[in-house]
Amino acid sequence: MAEQPDRRPWLLENRYEIGDFFDEMFAGNGQPHHHYQPIYEQLRELSRQSFEERRRQADIAFLYQGITFTVYNKEDEGIERIFPFDLIPRIIPAPEWDVLERGLTQRVTALNLFLYDIYHEQRIIREGIIPPELIFGAKHFRREMIGVEPPRRVYAHIVGSDLVRDNEGNYLVLEDNLRSPSGVSYMLENRQAMKRTFPNLFQKYEVRPNEHYPQELLATLRSVAPHDLPDPTVVLLTPGIYNSAYFEHTFLARQMGIEIVEGRDLVVHDNHVYTRTTRGLKPVDVIYRRIDDEFIDPLTFNPDSMLGVAGLLNAYRAGNVTLANAIGTGVADDKAVYAFVPQIIRFYLSEEPILNNVPTYLAMRDEDRKYILDHLDTLVVKSVNESGGYGMLVGTQSTREERERFRELIHSAPRNFIAQPTISLSRHPTYQDGELYGCHVDLRPYILCGEEVRIVPGGLTRVALRKGSLVVNSSQGGGSKDTWVLGKQPDRAVVGQFWLNNKG
Amino acid sequence: MLSRVADALYWMSRYVERAEDITRILTVNFHSLLDAPVETAESAWQAIIAITGDEERYRQCYADYNARNVSEFLLWNPSNPNAVRTCISLARENARSVREQISSEMWENLNRLYFLVRDLDWEETARSGPYEFFDQIRYGSWAFQGITAETMTHGDGYEFIQLGKMMERGDKTIRTLDVKYAAVNQLTEGPEASLQLIVLLRSCSAFEAFRKTGAAMLQSGRVAQFLLLDQEFPRAVGFCLNRALRSINAISGNTSGEQGRQPHQLNNPQRQIGRICADLDYLNIEEILDLRMHPFLDGLLHRINLVGDEITRTFFNTQVILPGKTQQPAQQQQ
Repeated sequence: MAEQPDRRPWLLENRYEIGDFFDEMFAGNGQPHHHYQPIYEQLRELSRQSFEERRRQADIAFLYQGITFTVYNKEDEGIERIFPFDLIPRIIPAPEWDVLERGLTQRVTALNLFLYDIYHEQRIIREGIIPPELIFGAKHFRREMIGVEPPRRVYAHIVGSDLVRDNEGNYLVLEDNLRSPSGVSYMLENRQAMKRTFPNLFQKYEVRPNEHYPQELLATLRSVAPHDLPDPTVVLLTPGIYNSAYFEHTFLARQMGIEIVEGRDLVVHDNHVYTRTTRGLKPVDVIYRRIDDEFIDPLTFNPDSMLGVAGLLNAYRAGNVTLANAIGTGVADDKAVYAFVPQIIRFYLSEEPILNNVPTYLAMRDEDRKYILDHLDTLVVKSVNESGGYGMLVGTQSTREERERFRELIHSAPRNFIAQPTISLSRHPTYQDGELYGCHVDLRPYILCGEEVRIVPGGLTRVALRKGSLVVNSSQGGGSKDTWVLGKQPDRAVVGQFWLNNKG
Repeated sequence: MLSRVADALYWMSRYVERAEDITRILTVNFHSLLDAPVETAESAWQAIIAITGDEERYRQCYADYNARNVSEFLLWNPSNPNAVRTCISLARENARSVREQISSEMWENLNRLYFLVRDLDWEETARSGPYEFFDQIRYGSWAFQGITAETMTHGDGYEFIQLGKMMERGDKTIRTLDVKYAAVNQLTEGPEASLQLIVLLRSCSAFEAFRKTGAAMLQSGRVAQFLLLDQEFPRAVGFCLNRALRSINAISGNTSGEQGRQPHQLNNPQRQIGRICADLDYLNIEEILDLRMHPFLDGLLHRINLVGDEITRTFFNTQVILPGKTQQPAQQQQ
């Protein structure tokens, strides 16, 4: 009967296949992991109508608030799309997060020491830990940065490292992003959407907040102002409204209460940077820039850039302005340099890495190259210079022609390619077309590095929505989930529920 | 505030006002010409194009002046950069570039107006009568002004929006007066002259307001005086320029006007617009009636355009002027 809404529980009635993957929510026996028990209960109670209604509300909220990214089509007219949001949160228990937090702090600290060394003494090269051609051949190595002293010796102020879990549930670092990583606005908006949609769920968990990220970011940026200025002027430099992450730029600027500027709003005079205002020039001390190195200063880098500021690099080198992130950080997230991060950690910190890398073969090494070429059909080959899921060969899903093309490419420029075994990324139940479906997920926490390292609990969990796809990038059909890091105290509600359940 | 942002807010506001003014002029004349003799109609339609100052462009597109051609040209012809459709989308483009500086309500309203104009079936509208569409544009513009006043902080950005609105409105009132006054002047007193004066007043939404001033007779000198010099009617030139000066003072960091500020501290827009205001304050309307009206209005329009240039130079100019290079012209149309 049409008038009678269907109130029967339905979402977990259908058979959910765990497959050969590590599942974030369910253990091997089809029972939820302990920390997923309360949400499992809740989802079981929910009628289809009520779930669909909440889903619709969340989508509308995203659209109205303009939380969109721009997809460009052939007619040259950008279309604003919402980033698909899945209502079932990803939950990380406190002890797991603890390890991640320590591991990421260690990693980012070592990478900053590495960058300082690379642009100064280059001990790591001289001591033979890293081959020189790896550094000097890196696309994002900037010789203009040699000898520059950034405040507090920090280069990478904002880092987004992508973590995945293998089929045993071990966290592995897939890559580091040291050049203006994006996506943090989705992390914050996802939480707001979850709070509006499922307020009751939060009462059953002790979820650690992430809302203070913009404040932490501002504190980080202020702490690296030149000359230890007590009250520096911070601005956010955007490429402009046509950039696909423009929403995020305005969002962060608004949350931090700082001015959002374009290159044409800034002018360099006598190695000092100013904004052009209706009341004349106003000095700027710290620039949170969301423009790539290549476009930031037409006098030094790409001379055709209309986005940058002429003379900015000189002002930076003179120590009158701080750029976050610094120029030249890309050398440390080069996919070939990535393979050396464990050695980098040991070299600078004399510690063992807390978080492991995905095993990586470098085509520049003869032995590795031979292995790569012999196993093109099982490995994932990546170009070291591409990001966003482009320039990649997923061996298991490739055609013969694609493999031959990559074989040629690897032969012609071995420095530019690495290969990794296909990792069976962990999966998380995700709502699609009326049922739960296991989708591969990753996690990008945002690490802030100023006078100290700060990590807001959680990060952006990205979901590969296309069935079977391993690529979670937003430009490749990805979506996202809210990410809950649980409090350190085992929550009474969780424990209580757990016991209650097991008694029955 | 950033020069780029101020520039965008100013032009956003000017374009919205321009769309509204053109729509209103078109509405009033459309209405009055329904029962006018054919020979007067042709010249009246020509006069409307004269108000917008786009006669040359019009003649490149059309052979003769009639309701259909003029409406098409003013509303949506893509070769007319001042067409209502173009104005609305330029206003939206400007708003889009400073979206985080305006309230979301303002953005939503402007967006709605944009989609209304973009998705309109022009042929159908022309066939069935455009009144409803005219109304939607005017109400959209009024809603935008109201929403702006009620949802945006009344700081520098707000003042730039007011400034843009007042500059554009003053300009349009002068042009309307210029063209229509000439038309009235050719007629001897009689019902036809009164009708023309009513159209002139309605073109500036001023008919009722003028009646309330207590003027018993519709007489061209009185109407001109009202539209030029009145300090209380929001479309009178005197009112617009005084408000524009008030905004410029606020933007320049001197909210109480020139008082307490030495003359040499004034910036050029303050000086120029202040001088025009003083000229109007002490004007004897008798001196410019009849044949002297046109040269006077022409001169006034020119001075207001110079103020516009000076506003651009003082507040928006983001070009660094290198020696030996001429300055780039302002990007947007006066």
